[in-house]
Amino acid sequence: MKRVIGILVAIIVVAALGFAGWLYLGRNPLAFAGGATVALADYHDGTVAGVPAELASADPVKRGEYLIHAADCQACHTAPGGAPFAGGFAFNMPFGTIYSTNITPDKETGIGNYSDAQFLAAVHRGIRADGQKLYPAMPYASYTYMTDADALAIKAYLFTLAPVSAPPKQNQLSWPFSQRSLITLWNVAFNPDERFRPNASQSPQWNRGAYLAEAMGHCGECHTPRNLAYGLDNHGKFAGALTAGWRAYNITGDKVSGIGDWSDDDLYSYLSTGHANGHGGAAGPMGEAADDSLSYLVPDDTHALVAYLRSIPAHASDLPRTITTAAPASYKEGAAADANIRGEKIFAGACASCHDWTGVSPVTGFATLTGVRAVNDPSATNVAQTVINGVSRKTADGRIFMPAFGEGYSDDDIAAVANYVTGRFGAKGAHLTAKDVAALREQAAQQSKEAPNG
Amino acid sequence: MLTLTVNGQSRDVDVPEDMPLLWVLRDHLNLVGTKYGCGVAQCGVCTVHVGGKPVRSCQLTVGDVGTRAVVTIEGIGGTPNGAKVQQAWMEIAVPQCGYCQAGQIMSATALLDTNPQPDDADIDAAMAGNLCRCGTYIRIRRAIKNAAAKSA
Repeated sequence: MKRVIGILVAIIVVAALGFAGWLYLGRNPLAFAGGATVALADYHDGTVAGVPAELASADPVKRGEYLIHAADCQACHTAPGGAPFAGGFAFNMPFGTIYSTNITPDKETGIGNYSDAQFLAAVHRGIRADGQKLYPAMPYASYTYMTDADALAIKAYLFTLAPVSAPPKQNQLSWPFSQRSLITLWNVAFNPDERFRPNASQSPQWNRGAYLAEAMGHCGECHTPRNLAYGLDNHGKFAGALTAGWRAYNITGDKVSGIGDWSDDDLYSYLSTGHANGHGGAAGPMGEAADDSLSYLVPDDTHALVAYLRSIPAHASDLPRTITTAAPASYKEGAAADANIRGEKIFAGACASCHDWTGVSPVTGFATLTGVRAVNDPSATNVAQTVINGVSRKTADGRIFMPAFGEGYSDDDIAAVANYVTGRFGAKGAHLTAKDVAALREQAAQQSKEAPNG
Repeated sequence: MLTLTVNGQSRDVDVPEDMPLLWVLRDHLNLVGTKYGCGVAQCGVCTVHVGGKPVRSCQLTVGDVGTRAVVTIEGIGGTPNGAKVQQAWMEIAVPQCGYCQAGQIMSATALLDTNPQPDDADIDAAMAGNLCRCGTYIRIRRAIKNAAAKSA
């Protein structure tokens, strides 16, 4: 009997260790590339970190400005309608709300008293000047790959800003998540705390793209699924995840559910402007990433990101292949013809004049629904969020605008029209209920309160 | 300098490409029959035809018009269906205050261009984006049917 129990315990211990090891292996975002890595200082094939050649002789503040855009600090460290970098942006998580902090150089409420070493500790290891641990909503497990020089260039830029007095908002977290000391364990498991190591078997362009995507742009923080402990699970690297009430899509090379069917030009266009003809445009958090970060990259850097994205192993997720043919011109024909009268009526009154019954907009290519991933997502998450919050973006190719309907339409109405749109223009109609829409509003509450109301 | 085809005529306008077509029509071409309502494509009063389709001109930037022909309320009477719709509108005196009616007539004409004999559901689907605060919807529906009868 004792032997049997002993064997059972051994099996459980091995399984637990194996599971822990599996989680641990999933934390390295670059493991998929294989090959030998070298320390950055020993890599001489090209420039991996820092600013692009165009800015090599610019002053430190200009360089910091480029890098702070590349790392997209502003999107999270700015509350809607608030002063840039003064914090207060709410992250609505299943276990409570976390607010971003003030990173203007205000000595009382910002980072005005941070030394270089303290700033690096926050960026690389998630440790505040007072020694407290930051919640990993701050993507330090990604920024940890950033070089000291780049992080300090960002600090130099931040210290040129006008100090804003904005006291930190109190986080509202349930126990045990309210215990910051527990983050120590999380850090051991999920923060590698090492700087970027170039991969000698890949091209200099790939390495630059990897640095921009992992150390700076932290794409995986939204696009990579998380494990039970909320660490990134790179076994499904970039295969898509639900973040802050919006779906970050699969950006692996899978041809059906990912971006394997996109051309390099499509990707370049989407990354540089937040829109690609035939694939639609970014809204919500990706719209912010395009407007606050990606659109500032020089062409060589955007090309490097494209090259890096192309190397991500295909990973199939549960999304169907995107429908690329237009719906019929008459409302009477098409997939959702008789099924959803309420959705059809709302579409006729509020949507058809810009999006057309075909889905191909007569007004502007930005409003075409045919071929758009969100419309081909049977969860209709991003369709409902876009209906609720609208779109208001300025791009190099012009203004992208859709009114926010969240204030004027009920949860029932929004569910009906989202179901109608995915059924008519997408691969598979959604089955959202008013309750689902209420939950989506909750998760992205911040945007819906602040977006312009059509 | 942009060149537009408006109501069959070639017109040159010196405006920024991101100006809404409605602004160009009203302020630069003095075609003030097309009205400004909500400004966000929710009311339909600014409807004009672009390439034969009814489009809310407050949301279409002039740079996106390209070579597509623009027809406004001033020119719609020159098309067969437009003439019939306007005639039917007068026969039963559809408008009350009239502010939305240019847009109503443009949407009604576009409907008859694609569907010569619309039933009530067709009319509702095509006209749903054109609001009328006076509530002339009953007369609008009847006038469209009268105009369709003239086509036959």
